[in-house]
Amino acid sequence: MNTTNQKNVANRLPSRLQTIFTVARKELIDHIRDKRTIIMVFLLSIALGPLILMGLGFFISNMESKAERREIFVQGQEHAPELMNFLQRQDFRVMTPKADFRALVEAGKHDAVLVIPKDFSQKLLQGEAKLELVYDDTRQGSSSMTVRPIRNAVRAFNAELASQRLIARGVAPGVLQSIELTDTNLGSASARAAGLLWIIPWVTLFGCVAGAMAMAIDLVAGERERGSLEPILMNPISRDALVVGKALALSVYSLSIALLTLLGFALMLKYGNLPSIGTVLSLSAAQYAGFIIMVATFAPAMTVLMMALGTYGRNFKEGQTYANYFLQVIAMMPFITLIGDIKDATWQLFVPMMAQLMVVTRLLRGESVDFMHYAIPAAINVAIFVGAVVLITRLLRNEKIIFGRA
Amino acid sequence: MIEVKELRKQFGAVAAVDGVTFTAPSGAITGLLGPNGAGKTTTIRMLGSLIDIGSGTIKIDGVDVGREPENARLVCGILTDARGLYPRLTARENIRYYAQIRGVDSSRSEATINRFVEWLDMKEIINRRTEGFSQGERMKVAIARALVHEPSTVVLDEPTNGLDVMTTRALRQLIKRLRAEGRTVMFSSHIMQEVAALCDEIVIIARGKVSAQGTTDALLAQSGAENLEDAFVRLAGIEEEAPSAEETFA
Repeated sequence: MNTTNQKNVANRLPSRLQTIFTVARKELIDHIRDKRTIIMVFLLSIALGPLILMGLGFFISNMESKAERREIFVQGQEHAPELMNFLQRQDFRVMTPKADFRALVEAGKHDAVLVIPKDFSQKLLQGEAKLELVYDDTRQGSSSMTVRPIRNAVRAFNAELASQRLIARGVAPGVLQSIELTDTNLGSASARAAGLLWIIPWVTLFGCVAGAMAMAIDLVAGERERGSLEPILMNPISRDALVVGKALALSVYSLSIALLTLLGFALMLKYGNLPSIGTVLSLSAAQYAGFIIMVATFAPAMTVLMMALGTYGRNFKEGQTYANYFLQVIAMMPFITLIGDIKDATWQLFVPMMAQLMVVTRLLRGESVDFMHYAIPAAINVAIFVGAVVLITRLLRNEKIIFGRA
Repeated sequence: MIEVKELRKQFGAVAAVDGVTFTAPSGAITGLLGPNGAGKTTTIRMLGSLIDIGSGTIKIDGVDVGREPENARLVCGILTDARGLYPRLTARENIRYYAQIRGVDSSRSEATINRFVEWLDMKEIINRRTEGFSQGERMKVAIARALVHEPSTVVLDEPTNGLDVMTTRALRQLIKRLRAEGRTVMFSSHIMQEVAALCDEIVIIARGKVSAQGTTDALLAQSGAENLEDAFVRLAGIEEEAPSAEETFA
């Protein structure tokens, strides 16, 4: 080989963009060939939507039927014939609770129970009657949902009794009750279910990061462990082109997972025949587009950040450990807002995951979403992506990282 | 041609390479011979600008590796001891990937790959995924991958390590063929017979320093030994170390 020949080789060196595409293509082919992982991840992604919607649908119809049912569990019915009579007139079905209802209520397996003491009728005449209401409001079980109808029924019974006594004494009931409060509850069961809509963006966003974890770690940490990092760096390839190529492949993969999850939701909403969901959620093309815009920058940023964390690991396993902590933080985000009772604060737009959850949930609820809702999270994600790429590139100049830390 | 002058590299308190100077001419095979831990791999990693040069200079075909690492990487093909392949890609795809990264156009790289298939007897494995390849099969792919851009300078770090007889023979023939094409070939080894059989020029390196350089005959004359093995032991200064080690343990 002579000198002119070498010049030819030098002249043909691919552009940075070509290198990025070469690397991205190779990484995608390489990882798509990992058939078992791919099939699992893709199947789970597309099944996630239908599963969540079915669960949500079951939850809503359950709440609706409980509200319609007008059933009351009463312990000691025989001690209060007047009250039983009243409840029956109000179309309530009075039922006897199970013997160990206290334990069951505590375990979230029994509706709330009204307990009538033996001396109820006697005390009622003296105006000192007491009733006990057994429920557990610390859990999302059935007792907390059935408390309200019992309270209302007892209150109504009390009011009826008082008016009867006033009328018997020749006093108009209105004297005692100058204000009458009528309940008009606009919050239907489906509206309450709308409070759970954040689950849809949550599983989509979490899924596209979690599903790409193995690939994110394999791209650098795995490459080093296999002993293929050192030889590839011997090529006249710029490290940033190599890292961007890998980041591009990872982004494509992660976005495919997100789109598949979204497709699962879309198919289930359209063809799933879920009447109870239909009242809460029907998505237009614009809403889907908004959702996709939010994921489009989120998935690349988060997965490349995970790749950077993986690069710090001495091997695949260690990289996986770091990435796992990161995943947990992402999974926890919605609960921070729930526990802190934070409702769509502007600062949330600056926190990845919180921002996407907030904006997409607003979209699903049909609330207004403006330009800043899209622009701020996108800008943050672009900054994270660039930062992570720069960080990995730097790490790949570090001898300790290339050869594994001693 | 590779020209190494006063090359040094320090890892913490350890001087892995401590003033190495040698020249590997074009159209010749130069052997870098030395015991384990002598500094061969570190020298080769610096040749490939995989680690920073501590001090001194390396020139490959006149290109200063320290100043223009990417240009230096263009003209050389280096096989280090890290030979990891992508297990889900076929042997051909593994090699082709490097050709693409180096911008070798596909008709040319396919021709080169086919030549290697013939030279290294890879017909059976070339279109198989590399998962589960034997050490020899992996080595063949790694060599083809490192040389797919037909570099003028070829550096191989202990290429025959762990290979069976047939693969070693094929590899020796390849090395001779590369010399016949006028390329600079350098390989490191700690096996004297191999170096003696192949090399035109031998550089003996021990404890980070070059202790002798020359043809087999010159080294024999210099050391006054009858065979290369004795010459190597004497020139590498291993002999002097052995008794002192015994004394320590006594």
